[in-house]
Amino acid sequence: MTETRRRRLAFLALGALLPLELLVAASLGSVPLPALGVVRSLLAGLGLGTSPLGETGEVILWSVRLPRVLLAALVGGGLALVGAALQSLFRNPLADAGLLGVGPGAALGAVLAVSFGWAHERFLALTLAAGVGAFAALLLIYALAHLGGRPSLQGLLLTGLAVGALAAAATAVLLVAIEEQRVRAVLFWLAGGLEGRGWEHAAIAGTFVLGGGAALGLLARPLDVLSLGEEEAAALSLPVHATRLAVFGLCALIAGPVTAVAGAVPFVGLVAPHALRPLVGPVSRHLLPASFLAGAALVVLADLAARSFGVHVELPLGSVTAFVGAPYFLIALRTQEGRG
Amino acid sequence: MTVAIEVRGLSVERGGRTVLRGVDLELRAGEALALVGPNAAGKSTLLRALVGLLPAAQGEVRVEGRPIGGWSRAAVARRVALVAAEDDAPPRLAVADRVALGRYPHRGPLRRFTPADRAAVDRALRRAEVEHLARRPLGTLSAGERQLALLARGLAQEPAVLLLDEPASHLDIRHQLHLFRVLDEVRRGGVAVLAVVHDLPRAASWATRMAVLDGGTIAAQGDPIAVLESEAASRAFGVGIQSVAVGEGRERLWRFGERA
Repeated sequence: MTETRRRRLAFLALGALLPLELLVAASLGSVPLPALGVVRSLLAGLGLGTSPLGETGEVILWSVRLPRVLLAALVGGGLALVGAALQSLFRNPLADAGLLGVGPGAALGAVLAVSFGWAHERFLALTLAAGVGAFAALLLIYALAHLGGRPSLQGLLLTGLAVGALAAAATAVLLVAIEEQRVRAVLFWLAGGLEGRGWEHAAIAGTFVLGGGAALGLLARPLDVLSLGEEEAAALSLPVHATRLAVFGLCALIAGPVTAVAGAVPFVGLVAPHALRPLVGPVSRHLLPASFLAGAALVVLADLAARSFGVHVELPLGSVTAFVGAPYFLIALRTQEGRG
Repeated sequence: MTVAIEVRGLSVERGGRTVLRGVDLELRAGEALALVGPNAAGKSTLLRALVGLLPAAQGEVRVEGRPIGGWSRAAVARRVALVAAEDDAPPRLAVADRVALGRYPHRGPLRRFTPADRAAVDRALRRAEVEHLARRPLGTLSAGERQLALLARGLAQEPAVLLLDEPASHLDIRHQLHLFRVLDEVRRGGVAVLAVVHDLPRAASWATRMAVLDGGTIAAQGDPIAVLESEAASRAFGVGIQSVAVGEGRERLWRFGERA
């Protein structure tokens, strides 16, 4: 099969899979809705015909299921985009959003919101605090890394690790100090999940993921040039430092809000680009959109599993992606060690 | 012949150390200059300064008569291409896609891939004789094939000046011959070619001119055979150098020995 044909097939399959998954995920749940009814209700929402779902069904679909499945798609797509972009940036197929130091920063913000009681008093307070924590960590990392002039990528990574460790330590101290019933709220958030998320969360994620993703798309070619190595990129007239800064910043702009909304959802950013690279190739123009679609499909499915297989409570989404992602990752490491 | 690139009184510092000192050099269209010298003489530094990757502490680099700082970075990269010793691109990247990135200085981040770009890439693949490898991922190529693919990326830039840093260092003898033949054809096409070459007999037979870099300064330059047999070259490398003509052409047999 030629490369172009393989790529087209991959896009076709992903393009068909994602809407199908969204439909199934919107239909299934503790109160199942007929798939056809869901389609007709969606069309009715666009002003075409009338919905056959009853009042309860309408509420479940439009207030609970739809925002949740769309949010799942945005979270997965965003994390996969960030993974693919960072892998080109760091020229390492094992890079993902975890490298940005966003996770520990967001966790600290979330724990602070809970320990001060904001999370109980104000709607979205936990999400906003997590978002602020993520950006504060990023700013701190970038400021610290720049103290001694322009940092190398390695310097940036190590600074991220150190700041992340500090944030994690502070989080642990706060967790120990918080009242017991509040710890549960934090633990749920830390484990990653989309339970109880509504349109507000989907709007936050949508703004940053789609906006940041579009901007990353404009940087697709510079990313490819950057993946050739710093010197060759500079010799090809790419402003290396500014491009890195832009990619890094956009990845943070996507990963920060996604983490704030969904908590930790590991491995999506690693698995989606890794699985797609052999199919669509490493060129960003193809890899970025394909990773977005694959990441979205992965998390919609994982979220469906999280709320289907739990007994009494939902499984944490982050655990589901890790249960699938970690073994995939281990197998991939063993079978194609060293191949980007 | 027009001067494609020249350096006047160029000094370059790296990490607080002066690596190049008062270098004067010029390169004309259709010339093949072999840059030779012992390790750490500053050869790679000179190449990087020529393409504007390293700033001049003193003196200047002129591209087509104009100071390199007076050109935009993209304009420099459309005129001067640098081909490194090793290819470090992602192994899954196809040869043709890799070569197409050589069009970046012409396209920038957003301009579409035009028929002119396509033609330049095809021509580069053909001249480097890697057309048959166009759709192969880089990771599946031999070291020699990768080096030729890297050369094709440089050619796709359609530069007036082609700079190569030890382009044959990892190649077996067949690929070496192939590479230098390709470089000779590129030169005949009117491109100014400057290559750092460690294999001195190869440098002498391929180049139209040779420059010896020693301790950051040009110790000798001119006709390759005369330069290589000069006392300056002998001093730079710390060896005795002699040669005898073989047959009627410029082919010579070289003999290197420890200096008495």
